[in-house]
Amino acid sequence: MNRRIIGALIGKDLSLFFRNRFFALMTFLGLIFYLVFYFLMPSSVDETLKVGLYAPVMPPGFEQIWEEGLEIEVVETEEALKEAVTEGQYIAGVVFPADMMEKFMSGQKPKINLYFAADTPAEIKDAITTVIRELAYLQTGQALAIEVSEEILGPDMLGMQIPPRDRLRPLLAVLLIIFETLGLANLITEEVERGTIQALLVTPMSINHLFVAKGVTGVSLAFGQGIVFMAIAGGMSRQPLIILTALLLGGVLATGAGFLIASLGKDFMTVLAWGILVFIILAIPSVGIILPGAVTGWVKAIPSYYLIDTVYQAASFGAGWGEIWQNLLILLGFDIALVWIGIMALGRKAR
Amino acid sequence: MNLKHVGILLGKEFLHGPKNYIFVMAIVMPIVISLLFSLLLGTFFTGVPKLGIADEGSSQLVTMFKQQASISTKEYGTATELKQAVESGAVDMGIVLPDGFDSSVKQGKKIEITAYTWGESLAKNRIILGVTIANLVRELTGQEAPVDIETIILGDEISIPWSDRLLPLIVLMAIFLGGLMLPATSLIKEKEKKTFEALVLTPASVGDILAAKGLLGLILSLFMGVVILILNQAFGAQPVLLVMVLALGAIMAVELGLLLGVLLKDVTTLFAVWKTAGILLFGPAIVYMFPQIPLWIARIFPTYYLLQPIVEISQKGGAWPAIAVDVFILIGINIALIAVVMLALRRTKQFAV
Repeated sequence: MNRRIIGALIGKDLSLFFRNRFFALMTFLGLIFYLVFYFLMPSSVDETLKVGLYAPVMPPGFEQIWEEGLEIEVVETEEALKEAVTEGQYIAGVVFPADMMEKFMSGQKPKINLYFAADTPAEIKDAITTVIRELAYLQTGQALAIEVSEEILGPDMLGMQIPPRDRLRPLLAVLLIIFETLGLANLITEEVERGTIQALLVTPMSINHLFVAKGVTGVSLAFGQGIVFMAIAGGMSRQPLIILTALLLGGVLATGAGFLIASLGKDFMTVLAWGILVFIILAIPSVGIILPGAVTGWVKAIPSYYLIDTVYQAASFGAGWGEIWQNLLILLGFDIALVWIGIMALGRKAR
Repeated sequence: MNLKHVGILLGKEFLHGPKNYIFVMAIVMPIVISLLFSLLLGTFFTGVPKLGIADEGSSQLVTMFKQQASISTKEYGTATELKQAVESGAVDMGIVLPDGFDSSVKQGKKIEITAYTWGESLAKNRIILGVTIANLVRELTGQEAPVDIETIILGDEISIPWSDRLLPLIVLMAIFLGGLMLPATSLIKEKEKKTFEALVLTPASVGDILAAKGLLGLILSLFMGVVILILNQAFGAQPVLLVMVLALGAIMAVELGLLLGVLLKDVTTLFAVWKTAGILLFGPAIVYMFPQIPLWIARIFPTYYLLQPIVEISQKGGAWPAIAVDVFILIGINIALIAVVMLALRRTKQFAV
C-alpha cells in the first residue's frame, strides 16, 4: 500500500468534496444548524406540577399530604393568584373557601375554585382537578380500598431527568454522521460520471488504493463532524473513549453505506434519492430514543441501532465497556459487512 | 381523456417521480419541519401520562381509565408484557388488576397492587397516574367526592399554544409542496427537455398527461397532509371529514401547480413565483400564528377556506355544520381553478405543442 498515493487521493477527494457547493454548504451549515438547534432546545426538565393556592384558612395537616411532583405555593390574595396563573407562573390556581373546615365538619361539600389560563390543555385541567379531588379525599381521611406499592423499573431518574436537548445530543451527532453518506456517495458518483475513476486506474494506483483513500475521506468527514459536535455540545464529559470508538465505527458505517449508494447512483439526483432512503432507514432507531417504547425488537436489525444506543447509553447514563461491548462488536460486524458489500458493488461498477 | 393512458403515465410518474428533488423534499421537508417545531417547543416530550393495565378478570376500571382525558391507557394481555412495556418506556406506569378485583374492593376488602413505574417517568406523570388510580377506585367503590370543584378559565381565548398556531403553516406546506410544486416542475421539465411534444405525439392526449401529473401530486399531497396531522396528533374526531377537506386542498394545490406548469417556461421562474407569490398561499397561516391580526384578513386568501375547516375539525372538534360554508367556497374555488387551467391549456395547445 503506497501512502503517498493514498495521501494524494485523499487531498484530491477533499478538494472535490468542498468544490460541490451543496455538500460543502451542507457540511458546514449542517454542523452549525445542529449546534444552534441543540442550544435552542429546552435545557432542563420541569418535573413538577406547580400550583398556586389561596387559602384564607389552611386546613390542618394539609402540607403533609402534598406529594413529590406537586409543588404548591401559598399566595396572599385571590387577585394575586389569578394574575400569577394568567402570567403562566402556575399551571393552576386553587382557592379554598374560608368556611371549608366548617363545611367538612357539618358533612357539607365546600366549593373549590380552580383557575386555569386560557391556553391550558384539557388534559392538564382534568389532571389538576383529579389531584385536588384526591387531596380532598385525603384531607377528610377517607380510606382507599387498595394499597399500592411502587416498583421502579430501570434506573430511577426522579429529580435528575435528562433534559430534552441532552437526550437528543447523541442522536444529533449520529444523524450528522449518517448524513455524510450522501456526500461520500456523490463524490464517488461524480468520479464515475466524469470518467476520472477509469483515468485514475490506468495510473500506478490500484483499486485498493482508491477504496482506502475514499474510505479514509469518508470516515474523516463523518467522524470529524461527530466529534466537533459532541465536543461543543458537551457530550464528551461521560465515557469519552467509548463515544469516540462508537463515532469512529459510525464513520465506517457511513462510509460503507456511501459506497453502496454510489454503486446504485448514476448522478446527483439518484444519489440524493437513494441517500435520503438510506438516511431514513438508518435514522429509524432514533425514534426509540425520542419516543421510548415506540419501536419493537425488529429495530435491532438496522445497523445504526447499535451506534445510536451505544452513544445514548454512554453519554446519558455513563454506560461502561462492560455494558456496551456487545453493541460495539455487532456494529463492527455490520461495518465490515457493509464496507465489503459496498466495495464489491462499487468495484464492479468502476471496472 | 383515456383512463388507460392516464394509468400508464401515472405509473411512469411514480417510477421516475422519486428521483425528482421536489418529490424527496415534499416528503422530507414537512416531516422535518414538524419534528423541529415540536422539539423546539418542547411539546414532543410532554405527552399525557401513559398507564398500562393487565386485567386478569374483567374489571370495569379498564373502561373507566380509558374514559379519562388526562391519561392515555393501554391494555396488555399478561403481567409480563406489561412489565416489558414499562421497562421500555412505552408506558409510565403499569398495574395488574387481579381476577375479582371489582367485587373485592366493593366488599371493602383491602387489596394490594403493585404499580410498576418506568424509571425515567416524570414526577408529575407519576402523581397524575397515582391520583387517577386512587380516584377511580374510590368512584368504583361508591365513595362520594368531599368537595365540589369549579373550573374557571382566565384570560381571553387568544392564548393559543404555539404548537397549535404553527400547525396550519405545516399542513399548508405539506399539501402545497407536493401538490403544487411536483406537477409544476414535472410539466416544466418535460417542456424544457422537449419530451412534452414527444408525449403528445403518442396516443396520450395533453389532458391525459396533465391528469397523470396531477394525480401524482394529488396522492402525494393528500398523503403528506394526513401524515402531518397524525404526527401532530391533530386528527380530531372527524377523520373522514378531515380527509375530505385535505383532498379538496390537494385538488386546489394540483390545479395551481398545473396552471403554473402550463404557463411557465423554466424551473427558475417557478421558484421565483413560489418565493414571491407564496404569501398568497401562506398568508392565512401567518394570521393563525398571530391571533391579534383580524381574521377577516385571512378570508381574502383562497387557502383560508382550506385551513379554516382543518383548524375547526382538528383543534376545535368541529363537525360538518361548522365547516360547511367554507367547504362550499373551497369547492367553488376549485371549480373556478379548473376553468382557468382549461383556458391556459387551450393556449398551451395553440402555442406549446
